[in-house]
Amino acid sequence: MGRKDTKVRMSLQTLRVLEAFLENPTLQLAGADVHQRCGIASGTLYPILLRLESAGWFVSQWESVDPSSAGRPRRRLYRLTSTGLRLASEVFASFNRGLLA
Amino acid sequence: MIRRGHRAMHPGPEGVIHWLIRHAARGAPDYLSSRLEEEWLADLESRSSALSRVRLACGCCWATVVIATEYAGTGVSTTVPAAAVRGYVPRTEKNFGYFSLGAGTLFLILGLHAALFSGLVTTFSNPASIEVTVLPGR
Repeated sequence: MGRKDTKVRMSLQTLRVLEAFLENPTLQLAGADVHQRCGIASGTLYPILLRLESAGWFVSQWESVDPSSAGRPRRRLYRLTSTGLRLASEVFASFNRGLLA
Repeated sequence: MIRRGHRAMHPGPEGVIHWLIRHAARGAPDYLSSRLEEEWLADLESRSSALSRVRLACGCCWATVVIATEYAGTGVSTTVPAAAVRGYVPRTEKNFGYFSLGAGTLFLILGLHAALFSGLVTTFSNPASIEVTVLPGR
């Protein structure tokens, strides 16, 4: 297998998702949390999360809770990878450069 | 893996919402469908209002269309374990201009529904008046 293609189409919604994660890069967020922070509709949000995960910007894992004791199903949590953090920071830095230029 | 204990039957609108989400997840690529179903049903729990839950269910249907469309362009078999490692391979090079294929299909379906609905409204709001004339002497 070759090296993973980290290129992701940057839409405004993708930027908003990345911004939510960049507020606290160590934070793990479920899709519902991202929806609350960004207000992006689920039909747009989940493909973006999968796209970013596929490109290696995010990793996801199941929440480590027992559904029967928690009284709710476990959630899928996403977090920025180191690569994702670097690339997202570069994206926002380039936007800032473009705005200031 | 879906925990069967959480798959209780939900009557009424709640059942429709759960059915929509499960139906949407089944439309995703095989290796993603069970994950998405569990993920979306878990996210549904965080939505309190009925409208918000319906919106999530409809959004999941739309998300499946987008995911399936992007996946379809890759030509990667669902049986390839390497593809399942990351779970998803996006197609980014295909461009349909201003609208994606999925968006175009949605607009077409919405347009047809709007045309049908307006036709029905027009028909039933202005019923054809039937004039009955009684001729004298008959």
